[in-house]
Amino acid sequence: MMTGLRLTFSAILIWAAVPVSAQPKPASTVPRTADGKPDFTGVWQVASNRKGTWEQANANGGLGGLSASETAVRAPAPPRGAPARESAPYQPWAAKKVLESFNRRAIDDPQAQCLLPGVPRVNTVGLFPMQIVQTPQTIVMMYEYLNAFRIIPIGAKHPDDLEPTFMGDAVGRWDGDTFVVDVTSFNDRTWLIGTGTFHSDALHVTEKYRRIDADTITYEATMEDPKVLTKPWVYRTTIMKRDGTRLREYECQESDDDRQEYQKLLKDETVFRRK
Amino acid sequence: MKKAFPLAAAVLLALPAWAHHSFGAEYDAKKPITLTGTVTKVEWTNPHIHFFLDVKDSSGKVVNWKIEGFPPNVLYRTGWKRDVTMKTGDTITVTGWQARDGGNWAHSREVTFSDGKKLFAGPPSGTGDGGNTPVVSEQ
Repeated sequence: MMTGLRLTFSAILIWAAVPVSAQPKPASTVPRTADGKPDFTGVWQVASNRKGTWEQANANGGLGGLSASETAVRAPAPPRGAPARESAPYQPWAAKKVLESFNRRAIDDPQAQCLLPGVPRVNTVGLFPMQIVQTPQTIVMMYEYLNAFRIIPIGAKHPDDLEPTFMGDAVGRWDGDTFVVDVTSFNDRTWLIGTGTFHSDALHVTEKYRRIDADTITYEATMEDPKVLTKPWVYRTTIMKRDGTRLREYECQESDDDRQEYQKLLKDETVFRRK
Repeated sequence: MKKAFPLAAAVLLALPAWAHHSFGAEYDAKKPITLTGTVTKVEWTNPHIHFFLDVKDSSGKVVNWKIEGFPPNVLYRTGWKRDVTMKTGDTITVTGWQARDGGNWAHSREVTFSDGKKLFAGPPSGTGDGGNTPVVSEQ
């Protein structure tokens, strides 16, 4: 026992004598690149917390793990006494606009027009896989959903000739093991997360990706928009590894059926309005 | 009156998004439906598939229904194969929810094939319409 303790103590002394940069990383299930960074390379499913292959994680319901008997149930009611979900921090005038989209059952969803989903909304769509390719200079995120992609240079500054876009302009940096992405230069045509969560062209998003084990990236997006929000709004989720899954083409405008059905519905909103 | 804008930083935890458009606007979660009939056409297209089904109504009259489902890529990963799993002429039973306007169109949840095999074909009811609660409080 004592020998073991002494050995441990000696090991600590030796460890402390070696410069930090030369110390091997502690044992971990996080794969690393040759330059010692966490390696995000692979195929992933956003907005999931289940381990396993795509098929294992999404069994019993097509997607999301719901069983057939649960299909009529949208979401379980929170337990009695549980704190209610906090409101999104919209300015009063803006909250009314968000509510109007909710009452119109998201019929004005920009995604329904096959427009790119924006950030962080692209990281809420768990229906489709995404793939990350990583080099020391660049991380590329490719989403099957709407064939969206994001090329994120590491250590770069935003260009000074940007024009507003759906996905914004993203630059990345390493903060220890966390990949931090600064996203700016958005247009005002996407929703932030869910139904009606519009924003202005002043939107600024800070994303943090942290690979915590072999299966999991934790994701946090802080949204700031002084024209619309009263304070920063934070979205968190986990992104799960899906080995063996291959991204496929998703050409959203192949069929126009849904938009045509929407046009029919819009002739009489009482058919679908909540209130 | 509810406090609409609490001072603490609001954090939204993930709710996975099921579909790219509002099924809840088009289809009524209060109108579950089960249809058995013959497949007359399959449109294996993005962003969502549609298939058409000849179904006899209670008076014996044949009515053609239009049924919406998941995108092709989602169906591929849940066990479907284009032009093989469901073909024109096949007899199938589909469960889902009827359109809000009461017309002969619906979105599917599950298809049962003539050999008894079942596959998921579409999302749960109410998908994409904002759920049960808005992200902001009502004033």
